[in-house]
Amino acid sequence: MSHREHVEELLNAIRRSKLNAFITVDYEGARQQAEGADAGELDGRLAGIPIAIKDAISTKGLRTTCASKMLEHYVPPYDAFVVKKLREEGAVIIGKTNMDEFSMGTSTETSFFGPSKNPWDLERVPGGSSGGSAAAVAAQETDLALGSDTGGSIRCPASFCGVVGLKPTYGRVSRNGLVSYGNSMEQIGPIARTVEACAALFEVIAGYDPWDSTSRDAPVPQYVAKLRDEIAGLKVGVPRDFFGEGVDPVVENATWEAIAVLESLGVHAKETSMPNLKYALSAYYVQAMSEASSNLARYSGIIYGHRVQKNHDWHTTFSENRASGFGNEVKRRILLGTYALSAGYYDKYYLKARKARALISRDFQRVFKQFDVLIAPTMPYAAFKIGEKIEDPLSLYKVDINTVPINLANVPSLSVPCGRKGHLPIGMQIIGDQFNEQLLFNIAFQFEQNTNNRHAV
Amino acid sequence: MITKTDVEQIARLACIDLNEEDMQAFTMQFNAILEYFEALEDIEAELTEQEEDNVLRADEVTPSLTQQNALANAPKVENGYFRGPRIL
Repeated sequence: MSHREHVEELLNAIRRSKLNAFITVDYEGARQQAEGADAGELDGRLAGIPIAIKDAISTKGLRTTCASKMLEHYVPPYDAFVVKKLREEGAVIIGKTNMDEFSMGTSTETSFFGPSKNPWDLERVPGGSSGGSAAAVAAQETDLALGSDTGGSIRCPASFCGVVGLKPTYGRVSRNGLVSYGNSMEQIGPIARTVEACAALFEVIAGYDPWDSTSRDAPVPQYVAKLRDEIAGLKVGVPRDFFGEGVDPVVENATWEAIAVLESLGVHAKETSMPNLKYALSAYYVQAMSEASSNLARYSGIIYGHRVQKNHDWHTTFSENRASGFGNEVKRRILLGTYALSAGYYDKYYLKARKARALISRDFQRVFKQFDVLIAPTMPYAAFKIGEKIEDPLSLYKVDINTVPINLANVPSLSVPCGRKGHLPIGMQIIGDQFNEQLLFNIAFQFEQNTNNRHAV
Repeated sequence: MITKTDVEQIARLACIDLNEEDMQAFTMQFNAILEYFEALEDIEAELTEQEEDNVLRADEVTPSLTQQNALANAPKVENGYFRGPRIL
């Protein structure tokens, strides 16, 4: 099959889809790029391979909304660093995927463009915030996708949709061109149906970028070439703190069964504990909200973005633009972040959250002296129903209990399918020390080769 | 305990105009969330290490956006400028 024919198949699947996984589909651009690949005009490691991009990542000339009314008509004048890399390697960008508004959510229900649906059960959420990306990969509406993960936004939908997703080490992938939400914690990362495809995409997007002051100048390993390296003898820690109250016993069992498979392949697993994880959820939300209140101050509706058509003064105009441009979850986080940073509350919330983050990082440093990787359930349960939690923000925050510690510690974590609850996928996360993504891929690859958790929708 | 007046004050600081209904709902939700955050109160730790290191690059002049590109997304433009709201 030619690249053009393959892309046409995907575009047809998207057109017929009930998932609402895409906000913008670039039909013409995708066809042209695929034709270019067929004509041999594109070369590179991803030549002719279709990819969908989370709508929080800037694409030159292609609308980038962040699933917000605020940016409904925003067309970036430049490509994000990762998008430039994709183009250099010949990838075919087919469209921009649905997400929680400004990446704030765990279900893709806060999107201005309506919720995406889980391809395994249309009444359920695909997870979030990169829900459109994971759903589109699972339903074969694209081969690859990019998401971003501030507190679980790649791993949660990967787990709920039964695909592979990586949250890289902080600083491994440039954030240049990623719309900021919680900038001290977020990373762009790959989503794919197989570990090998995930590693191949990661190899392309990782690397130093002088335009991101938190990007780290470390060599990018050849993850795919080393994918089949031996895993026997590796030490796996299983922190019991990830199996707390609220974790579905079915998820718990699936994780332990996966660990048993790895033990049969020669790894040594042992329980451990990380007592400061009990602070992780509060520390994450205080810090993310504080950063959000600052990062989203730029949306005034003057230089770009939504603007009301009234002749008011500055303050009233800004306040009305922001009131009508942002959805409720975005408003909640900006307001709570403003509160946490305000005089009199800074020490009580923000400073305490920073201290909790330091304690959690030290917990990770300690266990990585003893273990090569950690394994834990990605999510406490399988995908929940659309509408089930959206009315109670705190209950939705608590869904992130197992994913947020990783972002606070700046370490990488790979979510891979490890079982099912009925028809719904369950994912486990393999967590590594900073810049140790290779080990995560190697373990996940061996696990994938020796189990049968991959199913087409 | 956070009151509706507090929420109104925060909303003014954050430049987000809230209606009565939102203000009431947010007040309730914020109290539940902030109560959950109280878990952080018993933390005693020293912040010693520098957790994030910024990597600086040389400040060299390179081509930037053209005026046309810079203005392309602006809701109101006049004579090559962004048009803001009135001052008074």
